[in-house]
Amino acid sequence: MTFPAYYALYAVSHMNRFGTTEEDMSRVAVKAHHYGAMNPLAQFQKEITLEKALASQVVSWPLKLYDACPLTDGSAAVILASEEVAKKLTDTPVWIRGVGYSSGSANLSRRGDYVGLRASVEAAKRAYGMSGVDPGMVDVATCHDCFTIAELMAYEDLGFCKKGEGAKMIREGQTEVGGRIPVNLDGGLKAKGHPIGATGVSMTVEITKQLRNEAGRHQAPIRNGIGLVHNVGGTGHYAFVTILSRD
Amino acid sequence: MQEDPILHSRRSLTLKFDIPISRTHEFWDALRQGRFVTTKCAKCGQVSFPPQSDCPKCMNGEFAWVDLGRDATLVTFTHVEIIPTSFAGNDSYIVAICELANGLKVLAWLEGIDYEKAKPGMRVRVEGRTSKEGNPYYVFVPA
Repeated sequence: MTFPAYYALYAVSHMNRFGTTEEDMSRVAVKAHHYGAMNPLAQFQKEITLEKALASQVVSWPLKLYDACPLTDGSAAVILASEEVAKKLTDTPVWIRGVGYSSGSANLSRRGDYVGLRASVEAAKRAYGMSGVDPGMVDVATCHDCFTIAELMAYEDLGFCKKGEGAKMIREGQTEVGGRIPVNLDGGLKAKGHPIGATGVSMTVEITKQLRNEAGRHQAPIRNGIGLVHNVGGTGHYAFVTILSRD
Repeated sequence: MQEDPILHSRRSLTLKFDIPISRTHEFWDALRQGRFVTTKCAKCGQVSFPPQSDCPKCMNGEFAWVDLGRDATLVTFTHVEIIPTSFAGNDSYIVAICELANGLKVLAWLEGIDYEKAKPGMRVRVEGRTSKEGNPYYVFVPA
């Protein structure tokens, strides 16, 4: 087995059950590179076409080179403080409203299905529950797009759409600026890069910038002041969801 | 297309695995005889795959062997084209997850079919094979 093969097993199942296509997955890569090109800290800052993504080397069918995030060197940092200290340190603190964690079986043959990550679903349920936020209130999100199919499944697992409608979200541009819920405007793991140990924190940094309206060219419109961070380990062996807010 | 200048470095890594099978050798013995079996907990009745001498549900160490049959349904698969170093001697291959008649799922290679023709839901069956080292292993083939 290879790591792309794990996610490819999910991709084939998702395609078979919901009609998701290789083109839909390539659209996620095109979006990632589009926003990566606006992020001066991204590993890949060049736009790509749908044709280029679709024609790239097959790694583990149906996943191709442009469906996969790169290996990245990088670092990220957050200052975590109590409410009292945070108010002293900055005029624009970003608050942690809810956190959720869940694990999933490491043995893929012991999982119920291959169209979503149960760890993500459970982690999201807990984070939404703790924060009192529902998916419709989230202004902007970073999702764990280690492979393009992972982003499509995340839309569904995090409740941004119904199960099976992830491909529809990307086709309609619902996860771009101007859509229902912009996702991975820093370029995501796919274009910003995936410095494994630093990735989760880098996602939190991105949402912090977004909620402060400091994301520059890839800024999302902030209405409710609420953002979501979704980070996955392995192939859904564990998942973390964090809800952040401006107020 | 002209390649960019690259410094090549190649080293060999020898992988050696010694896997104790004193409590589960019946699985491998049965496979050599063309049967596909696994463990069933003597206390709670949990059937596990891969075979587990200690029940993952109730931790009991007493178990019996049960025949799983060889019929299965393809659940999902992928065609691995960029091959990991440890399988460098192999051509591209299909990894599949299939569901047995009793609902247990098994991950193994799917052989004897082009990936373009494989389809979730198709009928497959388990077949025993012998590796270059002489060890038994199992694959799925179209039924």
